[in-house]
Amino acid sequence: MLKPKNDLLQGTLALLVLKTLARGPMHGYGITLHIQQVSEDILRVEEGSLYPALHRMEQDGWVSAEWGMSENNRRARYYRLTAAGRKQLAAEELDWQRLTQAVAHVLKFA
Amino acid sequence: MSWITRLRGMLRRERLDHDLDEELRSHIEMRAADNLAAGMSPEAARYEAQKRFGNTALLKEDTRNTDIVGWVDVAARDFRYALRMLQRSPGFTAVAVLTLALGIGANTAIFSAINSVLLRPLPYHDPGSLVMVWETNSQHPKPHNTVSPPNFLDWQTRNTAFSDMAYIADVRNNLTGNGDPEEVVVQAVSANFFSVLGVNPLLGTGFTPENGQAGHDNVVILSYGLWKDRFAGDSAIVGKSILLNGKPRAVVGVAPQNFNWFIKDGSLTGAKPRLWSPFVFKQSFHDHKQIGRFLTVAARLKPGVTHAQAQAEMTAIAAQLEHEYPDFDGHWGVNVVPLRQQISGELRPVLLILFGAVAFVLLIACANVSSLLLARAASREREMAIRTAIGASRWRIARQLLMESLLLAVIGGGIGVALTVLGTNALLAASPHNLLDLPSVSIDLRLLTFAAAATLLAGLLFGFLPSYVSAHSQISQTLREGGRGSSTGERRRFARSAFVVAQLSLALVLLAGSGLLIRSFVRLVGVHPGFDTAHLLTFKVSLPQSKYATDKLCMAFFQQLLARIGAVPGVRSVTMENYPPLTGLGAATGVHLLNQPQVALMDLPVANVRVVGPEYFSTMSIPLRVGRLFSEQEMAEEKHVALINQAFADKYLNGVNPLGQKAVIYMKSLAESGNQPSEIIGVVGDVRQMGLDVAAEPTVYWPMPELVYSGMTILVRTSSDPLSVVSAIHNELQQLDREQPMASIATMDQLLADSLSRARFTMLLLGIFAAVALLLAAVGIYGLIAYSVTQRTQELGIRIALGAQRRDVLRLVLRHGTRLTLLGLALGIAAALAITRLLASLLFGISATDPLTFAGVAALLAFVALLACFIPARRATRVDPIVALRYE
Repeated sequence: MLKPKNDLLQGTLALLVLKTLARGPMHGYGITLHIQQVSEDILRVEEGSLYPALHRMEQDGWVSAEWGMSENNRRARYYRLTAAGRKQLAAEELDWQRLTQAVAHVLKFA
Repeated sequence: MSWITRLRGMLRRERLDHDLDEELRSHIEMRAADNLAAGMSPEAARYEAQKRFGNTALLKEDTRNTDIVGWVDVAARDFRYALRMLQRSPGFTAVAVLTLALGIGANTAIFSAINSVLLRPLPYHDPGSLVMVWETNSQHPKPHNTVSPPNFLDWQTRNTAFSDMAYIADVRNNLTGNGDPEEVVVQAVSANFFSVLGVNPLLGTGFTPENGQAGHDNVVILSYGLWKDRFAGDSAIVGKSILLNGKPRAVVGVAPQNFNWFIKDGSLTGAKPRLWSPFVFKQSFHDHKQIGRFLTVAARLKPGVTHAQAQAEMTAIAAQLEHEYPDFDGHWGVNVVPLRQQISGELRPVLLILFGAVAFVLLIACANVSSLLLARAASREREMAIRTAIGASRWRIARQLLMESLLLAVIGGGIGVALTVLGTNALLAASPHNLLDLPSVSIDLRLLTFAAAATLLAGLLFGFLPSYVSAHSQISQTLREGGRGSSTGERRRFARSAFVVAQLSLALVLLAGSGLLIRSFVRLVGVHPGFDTAHLLTFKVSLPQSKYATDKLCMAFFQQLLARIGAVPGVRSVTMENYPPLTGLGAATGVHLLNQPQVALMDLPVANVRVVGPEYFSTMSIPLRVGRLFSEQEMAEEKHVALINQAFADKYLNGVNPLGQKAVIYMKSLAESGNQPSEIIGVVGDVRQMGLDVAAEPTVYWPMPELVYSGMTILVRTSSDPLSVVSAIHNELQQLDREQPMASIATMDQLLADSLSRARFTMLLLGIFAAVALLLAAVGIYGLIAYSVTQRTQELGIRIALGAQRRDVLRLVLRHGTRLTLLGLALGIAAALAITRLLASLLFGISATDPLTFAGVAALLAFVALLACFIPARRATRVDPIVALRYE
């Protein structure tokens, strides 16, 4: 399923999730925690968006999922970046850099 | 790639659901554990974790929706839910399904006729390049006149537009041997007839070019039907010999089952051929232009040549011929007609009008179901509001309602198609055999596609508005107001009123159309054919030339036959004529009245020539206006006398006394010297020979000796049922000549009914559609008013409690219905005035905007609509104020 390009929030969420998973397999809750911590509480991922996004990425083949045990011995679903996901991440990172640079230029210019 | 994943996903749908639940639960537990660690109370920790998820059901649905599995799943759930909802209100479901079945079924039935007649390819090779070529005379309105052989030969040598041309002439021959003698229609054709059409025989090799040479033409090709009926499908028939008019002919082929060739305008017999034989032109056809016009001509356009180009070239050739042979080809042109148009020409307008009519019926049906759905949606408003409140999106609600509509449409459509199969056979049974020549209705892909498209379209059409309105209702308002009087309700009421107005106007258009056809039919039936049709038996006897070679032999045979029939008990009188009346068959030629100046042959007045036997006018009850009838002497030998009809006197004699006038009737020769002038001895009443809807044409009557035909139509006036004397007459015929068949046995009333069949058929169908439309529109307005009375029970109760009289309440309710009815009538009359013009070609003696018909159907519709309003209005007056006020 193709996602519309201009959907900034969706796109950003995917970028953040992919980047997080680039460090290694992680479950949904872990992803929210990671993003929240790394962004110093500025970015908070809504659970209501995270799971549909994760499942969509799974459908698109960017991530794969399997059941595993969490650090405190709970059954959790672990998501792992696939090769396609890695490619997607690189592309999205590039897009993001272009976008922030462009925004920065505009801000500087004004 | 991801399709495989999705497919796999579909297979483990159950597990997926389970996985998702577990994943979310594990997430919540982890968050709750962290909250607990952060110092929250266990309850608060759990609550906070749960709250962050918000609406888990919605989340799950969203997550599932990313997956095809989710889509299929949701659609399946919508379907099950829709099925439950329909089961829960069986009354509503039954009415809606029945209405739709009626609408879709009627559409499919008419479409099946259109499919067979207008769309299905003709059973010839590349039928698109086949055309008919006719002569046409600028002096006479007939666009498709048969062709003269010498002209055919000139066309053949001069044209460049056609790759090949074939000619056909129908004759009646007697088939003897292998069972009872039988009169059959034989098409005498050019040897290339089958190859021009691109049809190969089922058995045998068919005609060879050599069969087109004199002396090699004693061969025949049998039709599939004749082969089966008379020769029991004998697979070794090819090479055998059959007896046609007493002469042996070798069978060289059997035509394919679906092959036939019947072009009404060119048929000289009015019946389908049973076999084909080569027709070799005599040398005289090549030498000079003398022979009459009797061929049907079919041609195949060369690749790349258009119909217009062919027409242009043939017109030019006709102009050359007119110049070269002014006596023979003066005023004659050529008309090239595509074969498809020729075959479906007469039916096309009828079918398209009926198709338009059934489309209207379907629209009315859709409006009805839509209106029902709107009313039902109002009572389900709370349900929808609650579903919205707990997170269902508008799209989700609209989708679910649409699913209900589509389900209704599919059930209705399925029943409709089933009805079609039954209905079309009824249609075929009711349709005149010469109108819809369909063996049976086959359900083919095109028909099914049409039915499916009609069903889907109907479902979307009637389902869209109700689901749109429901999906856009304001929840808070709905919940507060308990589903009454909301703005959504307002919109619904407006939509339903609009539907009722639309239904009434559509129904009016159909009523006006069928009213016009009924009035036109009544006029047609009221036309007197000019003779008495009751208790009149007709049949044909055609004598083979081989046995009855001279006029004398033919005359003697018929005289004996009439004498024998006259003695049969139950026969009041008997006579004969060269062509049966009312069938449109006949011969016509130029007539020169000797007291008028001589003009070119082609500029002479034209009259039909009918050859009659003794006691013709008394048997037929055709009145004598002036002069006298034929004497016994004149019936026995040629005395050069003729009778004319009133139309002839009115058109050509300009008030001059006809008696004693001499007229040259160009029947035997093209030269005046070749025809003995006949003395006009009397004037008889007009007979509508061409059919009831065509005014009588100028006609000359000759007694039999003036022009002997070997085939005659015998007319027997009986004292009771004409068919009861058939076997006795057949017996007499057999005693005269054992090999002589009796053909085309019919009563004159049957022939009359056949001539009216198209008009009756169209009237009947349009009448049925109009009646259905009227019923549906009445149900529509009844439903609306009844519903509004129910909704306003409380208000009406208060009014009655405050002293409103029954009359006031009645007026209040009826006012609404009256307004809608008047609006519907006004719109309907405007639309009908524009649309009924399309019927003009089918009407007889009445204008397409006949004010009386319009006033009549408007009154009928108004009456029915107001009656439908009156029933709920009366109920409104009976509202008990106490009950009404308590009702909440």
